[in-house]
Amino acid sequence: MSWWQDHLRIAAETMRFVSASLGTSFLVWLLVGIALALPSGLLLLQLNLAEMTSAWDGRPGLSVYFEVGAEESSVRAVGQQLEAHPHIERVEITTAAEALANFQAHSGLADALELLDENPLPASLRAVLKAGASMPDLDAAGASVVDAEAVADLVIEKTWMQRVLDASQVVNRLGIILGLLFGVGAVLVTATSVRLAIESRLDELRVLKLVGATAGQMRRPFLYFGAFYGFGGGLVAAMLISLCLVLIENPLANLLGSYGRDLETAGFDPIFLVGLLCVGGLLGVIGALLAAKQRLVRLEVL
Amino acid sequence: MGQIEFHGVTKRFDSGFEALKDITAEFAEGSMTFLTGHSGAGKSTFLKLLLCLDRVTRGQILVNGINVTQLKAKRLAYYRRNVGTVFQDHHLLAHRNIFDNVALPLRVNGMREREVGRRVRAALSRVGLLPKERLLPQFLSTGEQQRVGIARAVVTRPKILLADEPTGNLDPELSKNIMELFRQFNEVGTTVLVASHDRALIESMGAPIVELAQGRIVAGHRGG
Repeated sequence: MSWWQDHLRIAAETMRFVSASLGTSFLVWLLVGIALALPSGLLLLQLNLAEMTSAWDGRPGLSVYFEVGAEESSVRAVGQQLEAHPHIERVEITTAAEALANFQAHSGLADALELLDENPLPASLRAVLKAGASMPDLDAAGASVVDAEAVADLVIEKTWMQRVLDASQVVNRLGIILGLLFGVGAVLVTATSVRLAIESRLDELRVLKLVGATAGQMRRPFLYFGAFYGFGGGLVAAMLISLCLVLIENPLANLLGSYGRDLETAGFDPIFLVGLLCVGGLLGVIGALLAAKQRLVRLEVL
Repeated sequence: MGQIEFHGVTKRFDSGFEALKDITAEFAEGSMTFLTGHSGAGKSTFLKLLLCLDRVTRGQILVNGINVTQLKAKRLAYYRRNVGTVFQDHHLLAHRNIFDNVALPLRVNGMREREVGRRVRAALSRVGLLPKERLLPQFLSTGEQQRVGIARAVVTRPKILLADEPTGNLDPELSKNIMELFRQFNEVGTTVLVASHDRALIESMGAPIVELAQGRIVAGHRGG
């Protein structure tokens, strides 16, 4: 049985048809490509935000401020308690004397401070959360020392990186919603285009039905149409995303450079591109199936 | 038992018009029969129902003992592969050459390209059009186009060949030639059923004639 020959022949015929009506095909590719580019771009953005938050040393933590004149032993005891906590990576203690020395060194008020009878600054410590630990873990660590002796205040820091992480969650959800909406859009665009292709080949379909073609055989050329439109759309989406990356490369490099980081785009790799083409092809085939099912079932031969 | 049997077949359209009324007829395997009657007598409906291109309102149509009116879509497609069809409007595909037009049923059957080539050339040779296999249908005369239609109908070597007004657009001499082609296919065992209003032509062929009028068989049916 020449099943493969038949598929190859139909694929070649479809390519010829698509090439013959290149203007229309290009418009379909552009529409499908735009529909795919936005959610794919958001996926890339989300991947990069996730990469950024995991790679940067900007993890959240907590700061403990002690009462003025608190015993150093009390400060160290709180520090040890936090270091023993399973979600705390490290604890940095700043004694009252060190705080005063730092202040003198950086404030330019060294002479004035010399006149004071006693050190007005409290001791403090900063605990940094382990990678992978969550905000509730940080809350739990804070709660374990908030009532300790000599503790005056406790500040749980939600770093800007945590906010970036939250933003990436928003981008993620937005990507899913837009992905669904634009996916439906891509299916409808393909379905409409395939429907037009079906209408232009009704004579052939009538003859095919007359000579005993099954529904599957009659659908086959149009599924190839859908796949071609979808793959083409995926390719256009990849080109649009590349273009956007080129356009934002310089300003983004400047922004990241100000945080001491090089520009490295995560996710825009061969796997992403193949995935984009496959999703495009799949959506195209779904659109073609819808159009063929709707039209061919009502086909009158004579 | 006939190869083709109509049992009390009635076809009523949504408008209420009855194209066929309680038709009972049978056609033996290897027979050649002409269906005749005025325009609107029910000849085309008869053939359409036999091809299951329309549904019967009442009755049964048996082909080789199988009630084809009850076939599901896929089996119906396979059934049609065994029935060659020729129409007045030959339904050739304008953008495909003669070879590809004739090859269509074989490709639908999933035949290998080498065998497709052999069979198509044999069929075209039979209708005298082998030298024109690479031409588009528009470059052929009406008679030649009809012969391409016949080649396409017989290329699968069907058991049954149906023709609906196959000579409607042809002059008397070409019409005679086309009918002779049908006779040749009948002589190798194909059951041939031809609908034509050209009484003189079909009487000259000397084959049984079934006459329809207002959806009923009014003369000539002898059960093939």
